[in-house]
Amino acid sequence: MFSPTPDRIRMTARWSRRSFLEVGTALLGPMSLGPISLGLSDLLSTRSRAADPDTANSESPRNAASSKRKQKSIIVFWTHGGLSQQDTYDMKPDAPAEFRGPYQAIQTSVPDILLGERFPRQAKVMDKLSIVRSVHHQNGIHAPSAHWMQTGYFGPTLARNAPQKPSLGSVIARAKKVQGDLMPPYVTIPKAEAFGYQGSVYLGAAYNPFELNTDPNAGDFTVPNLSLPKGLAAASVEDRARLLKEFDTLRRDIDRSGSLEGLDGFKRQALELVTGPEVREAFDLAKEPPALRDRYGRHMYGQAALLARRLVEAGSACVTINTGYWDHHDNIEPGLEQHLPPLDAAIATLVEDLDTRGMLQDVVIYCAGEFGRTPLINGHAGRDHWANCFSVLLGGGGLAGGRIVGASEPKGGNVVERPVSPQDLLATIYHALDIPLDTHYPDATGRPVSIVGAGRPLRELS
Amino acid sequence: MIRRFTKSHLTALSTASIHALAMLAASIVFAGSISIATLYADDIRAVSNAPAAPATIYFATDVVPTLTRLGCNGGGCHGKATGQNGFRLSLLGYEPDVDYDAIVKEARGRRISHAVPRQSLLLLKATAQVPHGGGKRLDVDSPEHRVLHDWIAQGAAPPRANDPTLVRITITPDKFTFTRPNQSLALRVIGHYSNNVIRDITGTAVYQSNEPDIADIGENGVILSKDQSGLFAVMVRHGEQMAVFHGVVLNPPGMEPTADANPPSANPPSANTFLPVTFIDRLLIEHWKKMGIKPSALISDAEFLRRLSLDIRGTLPTTEELDRYVDDRATDKRLKVIDRMLESAEHASFFALKWADILRNRGAGYATSKQRQGTALFTGWIRDSIDRNLPYDQFATAILTASGSQEENPPTVWYRTVRTTQDYIESVAQAFLGVRIQCAQCHHHPAERWSQDDYYGLAAAFARVGRKGGFADAEVPTNETIYLASEGQLIHPRTGHAVPPRPLGGAAFALQSYDDPRRALARWMTAPDNPYFARTMANRTWAHFLGRGIVHPIDDFRSTNPPVIPELLDALAADFIAQRYDTRHLIRTICNSSVYSLSSIPNASNGSDQQSFARFYPKRLPAEVLLDAISDVLESPSRFSNVAGEFPAGTRAIELPDEAVPSQFLDVFGRPARNSACECERVSAPALGQTLALVSSNDIQQKLTTPNGYVDKLASAGPEYRTHVRSIFQRVFARPPRDSELQTAVVFLESQTDAKEGYRSLLWALLATNEFLFNH
Repeated sequence: MFSPTPDRIRMTARWSRRSFLEVGTALLGPMSLGPISLGLSDLLSTRSRAADPDTANSESPRNAASSKRKQKSIIVFWTHGGLSQQDTYDMKPDAPAEFRGPYQAIQTSVPDILLGERFPRQAKVMDKLSIVRSVHHQNGIHAPSAHWMQTGYFGPTLARNAPQKPSLGSVIARAKKVQGDLMPPYVTIPKAEAFGYQGSVYLGAAYNPFELNTDPNAGDFTVPNLSLPKGLAAASVEDRARLLKEFDTLRRDIDRSGSLEGLDGFKRQALELVTGPEVREAFDLAKEPPALRDRYGRHMYGQAALLARRLVEAGSACVTINTGYWDHHDNIEPGLEQHLPPLDAAIATLVEDLDTRGMLQDVVIYCAGEFGRTPLINGHAGRDHWANCFSVLLGGGGLAGGRIVGASEPKGGNVVERPVSPQDLLATIYHALDIPLDTHYPDATGRPVSIVGAGRPLRELS
Repeated sequence: MIRRFTKSHLTALSTASIHALAMLAASIVFAGSISIATLYADDIRAVSNAPAAPATIYFATDVVPTLTRLGCNGGGCHGKATGQNGFRLSLLGYEPDVDYDAIVKEARGRRISHAVPRQSLLLLKATAQVPHGGGKRLDVDSPEHRVLHDWIAQGAAPPRANDPTLVRITITPDKFTFTRPNQSLALRVIGHYSNNVIRDITGTAVYQSNEPDIADIGENGVILSKDQSGLFAVMVRHGEQMAVFHGVVLNPPGMEPTADANPPSANPPSANTFLPVTFIDRLLIEHWKKMGIKPSALISDAEFLRRLSLDIRGTLPTTEELDRYVDDRATDKRLKVIDRMLESAEHASFFALKWADILRNRGAGYATSKQRQGTALFTGWIRDSIDRNLPYDQFATAILTASGSQEENPPTVWYRTVRTTQDYIESVAQAFLGVRIQCAQCHHHPAERWSQDDYYGLAAAFARVGRKGGFADAEVPTNETIYLASEGQLIHPRTGHAVPPRPLGGAAFALQSYDDPRRALARWMTAPDNPYFARTMANRTWAHFLGRGIVHPIDDFRSTNPPVIPELLDALAADFIAQRYDTRHLIRTICNSSVYSLSSIPNASNGSDQQSFARFYPKRLPAEVLLDAISDVLESPSRFSNVAGEFPAGTRAIELPDEAVPSQFLDVFGRPARNSACECERVSAPALGQTLALVSSNDIQQKLTTPNGYVDKLASAGPEYRTHVRSIFQRVFARPPRDSELQTAVVFLESQTDAKEGYRSLLWALLATNEFLFNH
């Protein structure tokens, strides 16, 4: 019988399901009672935030810097257009050149895990990050795939059809929203992407992302909605706030829907946001040491990652960084040269920074796009859309690092071990964030819709 | 987390609660003389003189409804398409054969133990004697446990065609009036079976209240009234049978409204008394009498004009219009002003906006530039139809039966967004017939009689819609030509047979091959005896003006969600039909009623009421109306960019052809994506983005600083502050300032060194008040 010890828990799918379950059971401790009992929803729906050792950790003195945070959060790097797994997270050094692609594989801090050579810094922190190499779904068109990966549901069949389900950021915002908290619960940098599938749909406008609408790497970076428009002085805003208080006297008891009261609260909040220091400070990158800003990288990705860290520190629950367009059908190498080094710096520095601050256990890091790219280099030296088998990166937030989940065929192509669905990924993320997986939200017709459908968290990462 | 439907049957019913129920039933309501043969509920037998012989348990008739009640086959559990932990049941038990196989045959038969029925995994799991992901659902030896156990002990027989079935259920009592909060009433539910057995099934039925804030019901069948008065209905379901209980919670006499902690009222109640003007008023007076509530005071002429103008035209009344109306001494001035507004261009634009939402005239897509021409044509056609008051039956028919190109026949653009079976169902059933039958795509409606046959029969009317040509690059076909294809069928996914087009709940249309099935559908819909069409429109229009439907939500007509004042809905629909679907007549009738001019300020008797229309329910201004109102006040029109260049100067937000015209202000204030035919997609919920847009957006600041706008005019008009403040209040609130307000404003303006900035601050503060942001 395999007995799990921490340094040996690198899951491979060569294990039988039963032995995996037993390991899982042993790891889960008292919550599960026997090999057949893996009562998933037991574990998932009853696990309270208070009882969560990860959350409890954040209250420890070691984490004084993050004591403001009340809950776990996530930072998403969205590779809009489709990141090539075989040049990055699923290297095939032994495959023929037309599959191997332009890049060499390099060793990482975890024996047996190789990364593409443009990820040297992630390689150093690989023990804190895990790769899922067997993600797959059944669509190869950008928009439907983006909807699938962002929401867990296949929905629109045509490009840019209206979204049908709420995005993970909106679900997290709704589940984790602390009433009265000034910080926007869900932020997109620089703006919402993924063909419009990063919104809240039937969860309501309050859970749409707060879009930065500006490049955090810009020299004069300020956030449009949090700064006063040109020509409006702070003193005038104070006058306005004072007058509003005088004139806003419509009787509150005429409305029982909560709309009036809710609006009052948001008025106070908006005025505090633009006049008070707290939130604007969270968005103020000038407060960071220049050396750290350099280490993240003086590019949109790096500064966005740093800003994301400040935001989750101040109370945001989900920050999604949209990292440009990765749709490299032609000449993939020059395309990737633009994207890979800054992405590497941003993710690796974020890991180091969160770790230094004692926050890594509280913040999930997730890097994914709508699909991967074809294993075979095409006639234009590019790679096309590929959803049969691709990779995503997961780490932090209490998820295990240094692990590989699933595997692809020797030349790439298809899943050979442990197929993972978009809903499985969402379940893994929500579980890590302590969101009960039996959560349902009603759609416009009142039908309760599950946030994960059939998804199950990846036990290999627990 | 909202799971209204399953919540009520999640927790296992304990024997103790059955006892309590039986006592309650005996003491409160049940004194009937029905002879009841209970099969398993010994505790009920005590009050029902039932024979003690154990009876046969049938899988489909007894076991499946028990699983439903216990929540086993809910959508969040084993009922979801993929099952749960390897055990899959049909959703809500609509396929007993599938369920039988899952329980008896799958998993190598280990779910059932014939040798020791009590040790069956099915029971051990459900009672959590072995760990169960869904927790403990029932107690050992509870009535539900006995059903499952006895069925196994009797041999776990499969469902058979000649098994007795539940034919109908009855509720005792089936209506009741509660006179106070916290009053309880135990229902008794009787099942009538095809083998003439009559049985008490109170303990195995499923219950749901449509207004849990008025009265809720526990899974033991006991209703409890709450603090809020009003009407409610309880759905009682057992297997596929359903019955409805109708309840009333009266306003408790002498209940005082909540104390007003706010500064002096903006709207002091007037002393006017309520006089019936229309049949609406007479019906409501009767209703209020029954409910023990009194209407609020009537509003002033100026308040009325603001309310009416915002509701009919989506536009604030001008100061001149206000003065003219207030000074008008004619006795029929109200009807005249209603008519004038109905004939205005703004009315056509505002209602075209509403209908373009419902009809999903969607501009966003791969190439808005390719779609804009079509959306503009369609919105223009809708606007023209409203402007010439096209009768509503012709309006609906023109859309549903549209053929041709978008230039020849703009309603064909409807078919651009509405293209799948699901789209057709939603856009026809929900938008025109007021029923939500989407769930019947996969299973029977859980709270209504609709089945898959209804669903696919209705959608089959569109099976011969042909499409050709058009810009189809990038997967968003636009500018298609719509025609009647010579053939086309809709295949029922379960039976594999073609489904003949048929109306909801009716027999298939008699069609020749050259008949357009859409015409048959439109004829059925618009026939005067159609039970849905006119009532849905009457209800929709009522909700537009009164802030809530008589059936609420407006597109959820069901026997289990009845109208609060059925006579009112019947009368409005009958009048609408008698007037040959004259929409303006319908609006005129509603707006001319005294009910429409009730104050929103509650009185001692109607404060807790939210459905009897005894006071006006305030509404947020829709995004487009709000933006236009701010533009009007500040005399600073918005500029909207078109696919090339801009819309003409002076274009109002309510005139935009589709939702893809960029405007962050409109988006944050709830402009819908036209993703649904449900008006609910336009959300009025407050959000931080909205108040941030008011406080710090460039949009608002630009309007405040626009050259030659209202601010500039005020600032250059000299220091007549009192006069200016009076006209500002008239313009913004349609009322003069109160003395204290006048004082505050004048003192503030006098203290300002920069007159313009002073007016900006004052105007901004007024535009950010709830009094401005709401129609009240």
